[in-house]
Amino acid sequence: MIDNVHHQHSTSHEPQHDTPDAANSTPTPSTTPPPTSTAEPPGADRPPEADALIPVRMLNEFTYCPRLGYLEWVQGEWADNLETRQGTFGHRHVDKPDRKSISAPKEPADAEKQDGDVIHARSIMLAADQEELLAKLDLLEIDGDRATPVDYKRGKAPDIPEGAYEPERVQLCAQGLVLRENGYACDEGVLYFIGSRRRVVIPFDDELIARTRQLVQQFRETARAGAIPPPLDDSPKCPRCSLVGICLPDETNLLREAATADTPPTKDGLRRLLPSRNDALPMYVQDQGVMIGKSGDRLTVKQKGEQLSSSRLIDVSQVSVFGNVMFSAPALRELTIRGIPVCHFTYGGWFHGITSGLTHKNVELRIRQYATAADPAGSLDIARRLIMGKIRNARTLLRRHLGDREAPVLRQLNEYHRRAGHAPTAETLLGLEGMAAKEYFAAFFTLLSGRHEFDVNGRNRRPPRDPVNAVLSFVYSLLVKELTVTLQAVGFDPMLGFFHTPRYGRPSLALDLSEEFRPLVADSVVMTVFNNGEVTGDAFIERAGAVTLTDAGRRSVIAAFERRLETEITHPIFGYRICYRRILEVQARLLARCVLGELHEYPSFCTR
Amino acid sequence: MRQVHLIAYDIADVKRYRQVYKAMCGHGDPLQYSVFRCELSEIELHGLKETLWPILNLAEDRVMIVDLGPVEGRGDDCIEYWGEPRVAPPDRAATIV
Repeated sequence: MIDNVHHQHSTSHEPQHDTPDAANSTPTPSTTPPPTSTAEPPGADRPPEADALIPVRMLNEFTYCPRLGYLEWVQGEWADNLETRQGTFGHRHVDKPDRKSISAPKEPADAEKQDGDVIHARSIMLAADQEELLAKLDLLEIDGDRATPVDYKRGKAPDIPEGAYEPERVQLCAQGLVLRENGYACDEGVLYFIGSRRRVVIPFDDELIARTRQLVQQFRETARAGAIPPPLDDSPKCPRCSLVGICLPDETNLLREAATADTPPTKDGLRRLLPSRNDALPMYVQDQGVMIGKSGDRLTVKQKGEQLSSSRLIDVSQVSVFGNVMFSAPALRELTIRGIPVCHFTYGGWFHGITSGLTHKNVELRIRQYATAADPAGSLDIARRLIMGKIRNARTLLRRHLGDREAPVLRQLNEYHRRAGHAPTAETLLGLEGMAAKEYFAAFFTLLSGRHEFDVNGRNRRPPRDPVNAVLSFVYSLLVKELTVTLQAVGFDPMLGFFHTPRYGRPSLALDLSEEFRPLVADSVVMTVFNNGEVTGDAFIERAGAVTLTDAGRRSVIAAFERRLETEITHPIFGYRICYRRILEVQARLLARCVLGELHEYPSFCTR
Repeated sequence: MRQVHLIAYDIADVKRYRQVYKAMCGHGDPLQYSVFRCELSEIELHGLKETLWPILNLAEDRVMIVDLGPVEGRGDDCIEYWGEPRVAPPDRAATIV
């Protein structure tokens, strides 16, 4: 069962996430087990059934941190960091399968007769049904019936008596066990540390073998149980782990402790493990008839051959297009490969579609999302928190800007907030939300300067009948777009919500999660653009009572919205500085933790 | 977080030169011929290495990478231009066309 498959490899003592990323990997043909032919994280491309073989690389991750092993193998999560990329790069030679034919292990007598050369084979995939393991060997040295696995590691050889840390030794030993089951004699393996260019020989003694088998069993039981292991507690392993932004170890621990201790979570002492903002930013294209193309690793926007803009692809996080914008096939292909979503709006700003690659594999999350949505009690629990968050944030916005801390509307919103916490049915909650929104908007419109000029007459939509409502609707549409992209990236199905009922073409879950962010992100943008004079009367066109933004007006609003998402604030629970765009992602991940049962209640995001 | 890197190169072969130029355009902006200003995070800098190494012949070519510092701050303050750069350094903002 020897097969060459482009696969995994590992680094030194940090998590070994050196999967070739989708952008620059080439699939290698494969014939025998498993049914995988693409360069993807192991396990990610096949659902880990209870009897699936455990890739030894995943065993390494599980040994490093059980939660990491679960996230990567069972949930199919993946993220790159510098170390994983360096690991992939360090493996570029051993990842190229050679076309050498390797005969099955010879009979010992036979082998003695031949004193042939040692065979070196690269990138070998082997399975072992008895040990329930699947191994990808970087380099295999075969001398007669004796085989020595050589595993490449990114870093330097650690200065410890065992020669290497446990995850690497267990991984190597598992490779040895696979070789033994395939008929080779194998009592030791070699770890080659690229950083120090040193080979470290690891003998497979009884202790190591017993430990390896014990871990295989534990991993299998964990996967079968379907419960994600808890995060490590304040571990030095976390900052270097590439999945830290998915796992949220300190955040999860804090919220779990707060739930059991029955005291509000405190905001000091959390390590900053997440970047405060993303390097890449969205691109909006609203000029009609332009062509989005690709030139090298840049995305170009051209109109009648004239280049309007050119951005590095590494600077683009998403592309939003309004109306008639064309894409070249290479550009679209590159965007999907890189996991950059394309959001489609009508010319009028109605968000109606999204084009994205097949990038997400967390099936477990989606199954639990459907189960939660089908369960009225579970959905209501989450919906209550979302609406409470919305009312609380609406109240905060008014409190800050009304200049009257005793205003009746603040008291009323407090009351609605309290009642939303005990709403017995979804209908009651919907009613409370509606009443709170009415009170809130009545006060909100008084905060806009020049509102007489703009003739605001309460909240109205479909179509908006005054400029303020036109901007509100447009900004809500941008917010829902942003959350749809975020939820999809986290692994949710954005179309199925817990509060908003599913309707054709509506990203209900994005609408759900947008509730708490409407005052914080959208309404504050509306206040900014009107009160700072960023949009004026000539930014609008009125047609038969319906008011829409002009291109120039829309440009100003998008710019203000993007500035808001880039604003860094101190997180009210976790205490570190982080921009709103990242907060959207953290909230989506916390919602996932809640749906997966790890957090008892969804912690809505409320500023103070 | 990204740092500003000044990257300059000598390439001995015309074909490789064009390949390197095209690859560099995906990572930064040419201030002058063969001199690029690149805003790159650690991982993006590594991405540049992944892209360039298969093209380069290091027996004949050379590349120099200077880390000028954070994008906001020293990274840009330490460059003085006489005459217009070929491509002006970009602002950090969402692209709206």
